[in-house]
Amino acid sequence: MAKVLIENLYKIYPAEKGRPEKIAVDNANFEIQDREFMVLVGPSGCGKTTTLRMVAGLEEITRGSIYLDGKKINEVPPKDRDIAMVFQNYALYPHMPVYRNMAFGLELRGVPKDEIRRRVDSAAKILGLLEPDNLLERKPKALSGGQRQRVALGRAIVRKPKAFLFDEPLSNLDAKMRVETRTEISKLHRQLDSTMIYVTHDQTEAMTMADRIVVMRYGKIQQIAAPLELYHRPANLFVAGFIGSPPMNLLQGTLEAAPNGTLEFVEKVTSPHLPFRGVLSTDTSRKLSSRQGKEVILGFRPEQLHPNATSSNPTLQGILEVVEPMGAETYLYLKTGAHSCICRTTETDLGLKEGSKINLGVDLSRAVFFDPKTEETILT
Amino acid sequence: MKPTHSSFPWFSRLALILLGVLFLLPFFWMVSTSLKPLNETMKLPLEWLPTSPQWHNYPDAMKAMGPFWLYARNSLFLAFLNVVGTVFSSALVAYGFSRLDWRGRDTCFFVLLATMMIPFPVVMVPIYGLFRALGWIGTFQPLWVPAFLAGAFNVFLLRQFFLSIPKDLSEAARIDGCSEFRIFWQIILPLAKPALLTVALFQFMATWNDFLGPLIFLAREEQYTLALGLQALQGTISGTPWHHLMAASTLVLLPVLVLFFLTQRTFIRGIATTGLK
Amino acid sequence: MTLGERRNVLKGLLFISPWILGFLAFNLYPLVASIWFSLCDYSVLSQPVFLGAQNYVDLWRDPVFWKALRNTVLFAVVAIPLSTLLSIGLAILLNQPIAGQGIYRTIFFLPSLVPAISLAILWQWMLNGPMGLVNSLLRPPLQAINALFGSHLQAPDWLNDPNFALWGLILTGLWGTGQAVVIYLAGLQEVPIELYEAAELDGTNSWQRFLHITLPMLSPVIFFNVLMSIIGALQTFAVPYILTGGGDGPGRSLLFLATYIYQNAFDYWNMGYASALALCLFVLIIGLSLITVHYGEKKVHYSGR
Repeated sequence: MAKVLIENLYKIYPAEKGRPEKIAVDNANFEIQDREFMVLVGPSGCGKTTTLRMVAGLEEITRGSIYLDGKKINEVPPKDRDIAMVFQNYALYPHMPVYRNMAFGLELRGVPKDEIRRRVDSAAKILGLLEPDNLLERKPKALSGGQRQRVALGRAIVRKPKAFLFDEPLSNLDAKMRVETRTEISKLHRQLDSTMIYVTHDQTEAMTMADRIVVMRYGKIQQIAAPLELYHRPANLFVAGFIGSPPMNLLQGTLEAAPNGTLEFVEKVTSPHLPFRGVLSTDTSRKLSSRQGKEVILGFRPEQLHPNATSSNPTLQGILEVVEPMGAETYLYLKTGAHSCICRTTETDLGLKEGSKINLGVDLSRAVFFDPKTEETILT
Repeated sequence: MKPTHSSFPWFSRLALILLGVLFLLPFFWMVSTSLKPLNETMKLPLEWLPTSPQWHNYPDAMKAMGPFWLYARNSLFLAFLNVVGTVFSSALVAYGFSRLDWRGRDTCFFVLLATMMIPFPVVMVPIYGLFRALGWIGTFQPLWVPAFLAGAFNVFLLRQFFLSIPKDLSEAARIDGCSEFRIFWQIILPLAKPALLTVALFQFMATWNDFLGPLIFLAREEQYTLALGLQALQGTISGTPWHHLMAASTLVLLPVLVLFFLTQRTFIRGIATTGLK
Repeated sequence: MTLGERRNVLKGLLFISPWILGFLAFNLYPLVASIWFSLCDYSVLSQPVFLGAQNYVDLWRDPVFWKALRNTVLFAVVAIPLSTLLSIGLAILLNQPIAGQGIYRTIFFLPSLVPAISLAILWQWMLNGPMGLVNSLLRPPLQAINALFGSHLQAPDWLNDPNFALWGLILTGLWGTGQAVVIYLAGLQEVPIELYEAAELDGTNSWQRFLHITLPMLSPVIFFNVLMSIIGALQTFAVPYILTGGGDGPGRSLLFLATYIYQNAFDYWNMGYASALALCLFVLIIGLSLITVHYGEKKVHYSGR
């Protein structure tokens, strides 16, 4: 049982010569449930790693509190927190063989020898460190990046900690290994059934692994939600742009009155180009009625653009700039009056010519609207 | 490493060979003289080689120096304590200056660097007074106790090395349950072996070669180091038995050379880094 | 400071405590005490008696002090440039693609390992007037010159001639310059080879490459070495002391400040005067170092720092 509670957490680096004060973590509040896989994600410098390091006890807490299972751990040294951490650069002890690397933490805690042996062996088995080659007596230098990563995982597993902390553990692996290890960590999470906090800058990792995701930026939490919730209902423009690849399409425009009491989105254009117009459903229109005549930003995902414009969907007209065949799907990059849009379609044989004018259908049923000033979501 | 190919390869080759011979010549002369009978050392024109090598010059020179083996033991004893003391204390201090983050650290380190500008002759008078007040003059203590209080240069050297060890390792160890001292002892020291060996070698040489310290602080003959014993030989004997002086000089130099050839790589690397960092 | 910060400072101080003790006992206290002793009549055996500036007045009028100062500065000013040039030259020669680079490096390095006592006794013998190897090597070329030009050049009696003793010491020092060779060689090997290749494509000759690539890239190393050499040269004691059989050479030609401090302190037991001398040496070291730093820093090229 391990629940982590983070309350009004601040990390402030005081001003130093030639550098102003820096607020690395700005009033973070969230709770990680027992056995939850929580991912902290955001661009570099957003405070995610600092938050994790404060949970680990490697960074001093400026203000606020961290509770582990209801116990405040602000002043508890890392070794007494009963957490394990997997580092970005693995941080294996170069002078110890793999076995000792994994056993070291247990030795220090006075675990009996045969118990250590048992735990290391079982972790090694789970991680495939015994087959096909027994790696236990090797020094880290003699291991590949992926193998080192496994040993680092093993070192955490044998400890049977209340919570696992991961600090960008995949960023040093090549693309293929990254995907493999990703699924492996997900599998481990199910197997070990314990709380995990995982930091990454890679939104794909976040989306694929997390139970819930904390999106951070400039030290502030932007949104906390399950992956699909984030994807479909981002809290603001930043989250909308950060989560999902390719990113969400954003069009600036105004909401104007349309027949039958509905509203129509009209794209703001600068060139003598036909603006995109889309009539909203009655339901949506009612919810947005207060915004009539005002500027909004319309957001929709690339897969909500369809190469075959049908009469039921409003049409987006643009110049096709680039076609990127990805195999199973195709990305179309087009330029509208004032904006760039991406369409993602599973149809692969479109026969479209780059530079030609095309019409795409927009499915507005899952569209998101943002306030251009506050950048907050108005309606999802 | 092949930077510019010289326009005169034969010229640099010749220069190297000539200079190499010049640099080796004193060594050759030392050994050659040490194996000559006395009258041959005084012969003109010079004989490059002794007509028949007088190996007994070596035991004779040792006898002339007095208790040679006692001096050797004193030198070794001091070298040993100095090496142990310096390596341990300098590593400890270097750890505090590199692996820990604390307010005032950089200021302290700057002071440490500045102390490298204070050579021993500048401070030896009050230090002598200090040891005298402690009743240590005429004992070995002045020659080894300071080694346990870290040397600025060695601290600097080790700090550079410690800084190159990833910070992650300390943090992983901290989470694994290490105290600060255990991180120092079980993680950092084993990883810093090459640097520690370098410091140990430098310190051995420095103590073995030290002349001024023993000259000032030692009083009785039975405490003399080899360096002092050799100087005494130079001063006491009448005439100039150069064959004995050369034999004794060779004997004092020999351990240093042996140590160097055993550890050449570490040594050269150590010297190179001291100048580059 | 927060609790954690205070704990960190405490931990840091604990680790560096050996140095703090050493600093207090062997750096700070002696410097402060020197200032006090230099104002006293002090023989170690009895309590210091305050004299005021008397020691400094004596020092000003003491021709031996001026001799020691002159010798010390002269030695530094002559020996450091010479040994710097020699060791850079050797390093550049060594940095050629030649077989046996390691062996040559060892040969040049070995002399710097020789203990001061062995070094000095060996060179006492090398520089012996009639019997020395140096003179035996010098005589044939000198005779040839004399025969050609009708001159009367003679090999000097190095250590017994006040005009040559210092040069004898410099020669001894040049033989032991190998440490610097190793350092310069390592510095040369750090210079990225692409720089030379690019310069070669630009059509430079090897002298230009030396001037515009090697020298600037090596300048931080040279700077550091020169600074260390200054501090080393100014405290010269053991080698000249032993070379002269525990003295200061003919006409005090090998009397250095460190020697004079030693003589006053441990031969005459005039610790007060010795302290005044020591402070002069300290000021000299600081002064020359600062001058070097002042003129050096501008010329030194730090890449990527």
